[in-house]
Order: sequence, then C-alpha cells, then structure tokens
Amino acid sequence: MPYQLDNRPADLREQMYFPEIIRGIGAVTAHFLRNLFFTRDANPDILDRPRGLGKSDNVTIFYPEEKAPYPPGYRGLHRLVPRGDGLPRCVACYMCATACPAQCIYIEAGEYPGDPVEKYPVKFVIDELRCVVCGFCVEACPKDAIRMDTGEHAPPSYERDVQQLHEQALLRGPSVDYAGDPWLKRAAPSIPADKLAAMKAAATPYPADATDEYAQTPGFSVKALAAEARARSERGGR
Amino acid sequence: MKRFFGMSLALVILVGALMALSGLFYLAAAGLGWGFNVWFGEPGRVDPALVHYGASLANVLTLMMVVLMISGSLLTVAERKWSALLQNRVGANRIKVFGNPLGGIPYLAADALKMLTKEKMEPQAATRMLYELAPVMAFAPVFCLFAIVPVGPAIDLGSIFSGAAGAGQTIALQVAKMDAGLLFLFAISSLSVYGTSLAGWASNNKLALLGGVRASSQMISYEVSLGLSLVGAMMAYKSLQLDEIVVAQGQGVLGIAPAWGLLLQPVGFLIFFTSGFAETKRAPFDLPEGESEIVGYFLEYSGMKFGMFFLAEFLEIAIFAGVITAVFLGGWHPLPIAGATEWLRAHLHPLAFASVGGGIFLAKMIVLMWLQLTIRWLLPRFRYDQIQQLCWKILLPAALVNVFVTGAAILIDPSLQLLAGLGLLTMVVVAVLVGATGKGAAPAAAHAHGGGH
Repeated sequence: MPYQLDNRPADLREQMYFPEIIRGIGAVTAHFLRNLFFTRDANPDILDRPRGLGKSDNVTIFYPEEKAPYPPGYRGLHRLVPRGDGLPRCVACYMCATACPAQCIYIEAGEYPGDPVEKYPVKFVIDELRCVVCGFCVEACPKDAIRMDTGEHAPPSYERDVQQLHEQALLRGPSVDYAGDPWLKRAAPSIPADKLAAMKAAATPYPADATDEYAQTPGFSVKALAAEARARSERGGR
Repeated sequence: MKRFFGMSLALVILVGALMALSGLFYLAAAGLGWGFNVWFGEPGRVDPALVHYGASLANVLTLMMVVLMISGSLLTVAERKWSALLQNRVGANRIKVFGNPLGGIPYLAADALKMLTKEKMEPQAATRMLYELAPVMAFAPVFCLFAIVPVGPAIDLGSIFSGAAGAGQTIALQVAKMDAGLLFLFAISSLSVYGTSLAGWASNNKLALLGGVRASSQMISYEVSLGLSLVGAMMAYKSLQLDEIVVAQGQGVLGIAPAWGLLLQPVGFLIFFTSGFAETKRAPFDLPEGESEIVGYFLEYSGMKFGMFFLAEFLEIAIFAGVITAVFLGGWHPLPIAGATEWLRAHLHPLAFASVGGGIFLAKMIVLMWLQLTIRWLLPRFRYDQIQQLCWKILLPAALVNVFVTGAAILIDPSLQLLAGLGLLTMVVVAVLVGATGKGAAPAAAHAHGGGH
C-alpha cells in the first residue's frame, strides 16, 4: 500500500523542531534495537515474513548466497529440453535460429545412425552475449525443445567464450515427453526398446493452449502465487 | 532469541572489557609514574613532578593512542554498520575472516590499506605548502583536545603499589590537568577551522574554496554558542577544569538526584550538543562537504591526506562525546544516584573503583557517539541560511538566556536546588512537548484498526 501523505501545515510543536528530532531519534532507535537484538528473517518472500515485536525489520537478501526466486514468466537462461532418454527433443529444424532477431543461435544438424528420419543438433550454440532475451526462439519451436524457464540469468564471466553455451551445457532440466511426439509414435530405432516403453508411459498430451504451467521456472506457478496472494489478503493484508 | 541473548551478553562483555581496559590503563599510568620516579629520581625520595610526567606519558599512550585512535577508526566502521541497522539493512559484511564478517571490523584494515596505497593526486596549481599543511592543521588540534578529558577518577598511587612510598601521589586517567580546562577546549577546537579553510583555499579549486568558506563561517558562528552554552555549567560547578566538574557532579540535589549537568543544564546540553555537532561538520551540518552540491573542502585531496580529514571528523565525534560525558552526563560517576559513587569508593579496592569509573565513562562515550551517528543518519542537510538562522537567532539567544537564568538561580540559591528544579521543569516541558501529539488530525487511514487510535 502506498504511503498516505499527510500534507497539513506544521503545528506549533512541529515548528519548534527539537521535539520532532527527539521523536525521530526514538523512531530510529526502535529500528536500531530491533535489528541489533533480533535475527534477520531469510525468507525470500518479504511480504510473508512475520513482523512485530521480537522480529528484525531487516529485508536484505544476501544476494550471491541467497536468491529471491524470479517471478514466473521470467525469461532466464535457455535450456534444451531433454526427452525421456536424455537426448534433446530438438530436431534441428532451424526455426529458432531463423526467428532469432539477434542471430545468436548456431545449429548444425545431423542424423541418428541407423535412423533415416530423425534429425538432431550435432552443434547447438547460443551466444548469450548476443542474445536479446526476446523469447522468440521459445515461441518458434514446434517441438517445445527450447525453453527459457531456468530462472537463472546469464552468469558473469571474465571471458567471452564462457558465454557461448554449447549443446552439452544447454541440455539440462526435467525431461518432457508428449504422446504425439513422432519418435514415440513410430518407435524411432535410435531409442532402445525398454526406454521407449518408459517414455510412452510418462508421456503427456501436448497442451492445447499454452498456460504458464508449461513454460515456467521449475517449482514455480502463477496459480500458486495467486492463491497465496488471495490467502494473504483474506488474512487482513499488509 | 539466540541473537538476543548473544547480543545482550556481548554488550555486558563490552562494558566489562572497558572496565578491565581502564584498569590496565591505571596500572600503566601508575607503573610508568612510579617507574619515572625510580629511574630518574633520587633513591628514597618521591618527586611529584616525575610521577606526574610518567603518568601523563602513559596516559598519552593509552588514552590518546589507544582509546581515541581506535574509537576514531572504529567509528568509520560503526558508521556503516549502525546506519545499516537504522535503515533495516545489513551493512558491510563482504570481508570475512575465516568465513565470519566479524561485524564489519575487518573493513578497518581494508580502508587503511586503500587509503595508504591510493594514487596521490595533486593539483598542479595548488599552493604547495599550505596544501600539504592543511590535513595536519585539521587533524592535530582535534587530536590534542582529548588531553583534557578526565576518563577516570584520581586514585592514590600508594593503593596500587602497596607499601611503596608513593602514597600521597594521585594517578588519574587524564593526560593534562590544566587550570584553563574548558578554555583550552574552545581555543584549540577553533584552531581546526584553519585546516578546513586552508584546504579549501590551497586546493586552487572553486568548489573546494566554497567548501572552505562555508566551513569557516559555520564553525566560527557556532563557536559562539558553543562557548556560551558551557558558561552555565562553569558557574554551577565553579570550575573550568573538567575533572573538578566531574567530581562536583557527585553531590546530591533534590534528594537522591545527582547534580549531573543534564539535570542542572538541560538547555545548555541541547545547545552544546547542537553546536558541537556543527563543529564536527557532519549532517545535518555538513554544508562544508555537501557532496551533492560542492564536493567539499577536501575535494582535491586523495589517499591518506583525505584520510586525515576523514579521521579528524570521527575523532571530533569521539572527543565531543568525551566532553559531553564529562560535563553533562556525570563523567565517571557510575550510577545516576547521589552517594552511589561514595558507597562504591568505600566498598571497593581503589583500583577496582577506578576501573569501574573509567569503564562507565567509556561506555557513556560510546552511547553518545552512537547518538551522534544516529542523528547524522536521521536528519537531512540544512540549507545555508537555516544553519546561520539556527545559530544566531535560536541557539545564541537561548544560550544567553540560559546563562542569565543559571546565574540568577545560583545567586538566589547557591546550593543548586533551585537550578536543579528549573532543570527538572525544563525536562518535563520537553517530555510533554515530545509526547504530545500534533494539532492536526492525521488523515483517516485507508483501513481502520478497530475504530481509531
């Protein structure tokens, strides 16, 4: 809630100035003593921290050691989504590289040995220094193979090379399988038979509409946040 | 809760450590005093002058080199940490010793290292000699002010070296017991304005010159109310010497209340505190620096030369805390109860009594230093005309009235009862003013807490 501004003219006592200073010292001392004697609450959800007597008012988050989670929808570092057998979902169709306005994606396509249909990226390089974090690559991908849901921003580095992420670094995070995936439907020879059964079992239907649940930081959901906010406002709000 | 008990314990330990420290200071003063007598004097005879020289030398080393310098440099760290606590922040904690930030204290070493190894920039057209002289002129007068502050009570040398022939000689934690006392304070503290104005002038920089001019006019203005605010205390305690003023504060007035300066001279305290604040050139009186308008009189200084100005500012804080403690807060009297000091003196070993007194003095000093930093972080900078108005139109008349009223009260009732009554009345008035709520009702809050306050 924004501050209520109190714009009445100063009364006599306030014009005397010194009593107000003493009151100010009192107000500031209360903060000082609370912060001196009580422990800082490290809960990153600042609004959810308990307040009042016996609690520190400190709101600092020790950044590199503690991180406040980014809000849902935050476009973080890219990742290549793996499928159930650990290989990338990417079929090297060049859609993302074409859509990229910064031209920071470089792909070299290759074929799985013994499989005349399935393609995969032999090289998939994203130059994070050129990336403008627009998210067009995620939009363009027909296979839901590239996401920006890691919740991390590009880490600082002393060398440029470090910022060029290769397929080994990009391929991470929870795996995703859809029932409509062509390599599952026609049982691609590049997938071992036992894996195939497990992947088919774990597959979900492809989402008909894009909801936040499918493109967010792992463990984070707008719905849960909204519910929390609603519960908070029902408790009386802060 | 763990932190609460830890912090409470730390505060108790701090006071205890201050007492132990002042006990060590007493031992040093007595040892060196007695040592001078043994080394330089004739055997079998006690020379009061030699004992005095020895004790004073020990006090220079302990009080000025250890207490003053360490508190001055710790204040640079304290300013960061305490301001952080006031503002719900954490403060400097990145330098860690074995993974522990130690309350930011390692920043002391880092700061010193930075100051000493920084590139020395020097304006080409500076007036070289004055430019080099200014930091010294700013630092030295401030530094030597601490000489008159009586940190601990005077005790008998014979009580430390039992059976020695030193009985009759007194040892106190005070570097110079001079008759001029407070006059020395005014004289030397007004010298430090030369440092700032010379720095501004010699830098050959218009902004620095502006800072120097502001500094000199502000400091000269506040000298007046600074001096007048203490006249009441001088009259009440009938002395200029700080140690005698402290002793005189042990007497009782109005029953069990001690004759502390805060009770007898609340107005004088306010004026002295404000003027002293202006002398330290810190916010809200930091016109000479005003980093957002003019960078300040030390604009052209770098490295340790800037560090001297910086340190001098913090030393002034420590020294004003010491002087206010001695004149207004009862100095080394441990408890605000008349007669408590005499009871302690009778029931404790003299060295233990003196250590308690010295430790209490240092603790009071720390509280006052904390208060100064708090006010510095509480108030925004005054405008220049407001500064001069505050001095000439409010503080100076108030100080003059205070001198007049104090003189009249002492004339009518030399036992100080009337003065203490007036002081009590003033404090009650101030308390009512502070406690009273404002005239205009605050606008109704968006959400009511059960029907108003």
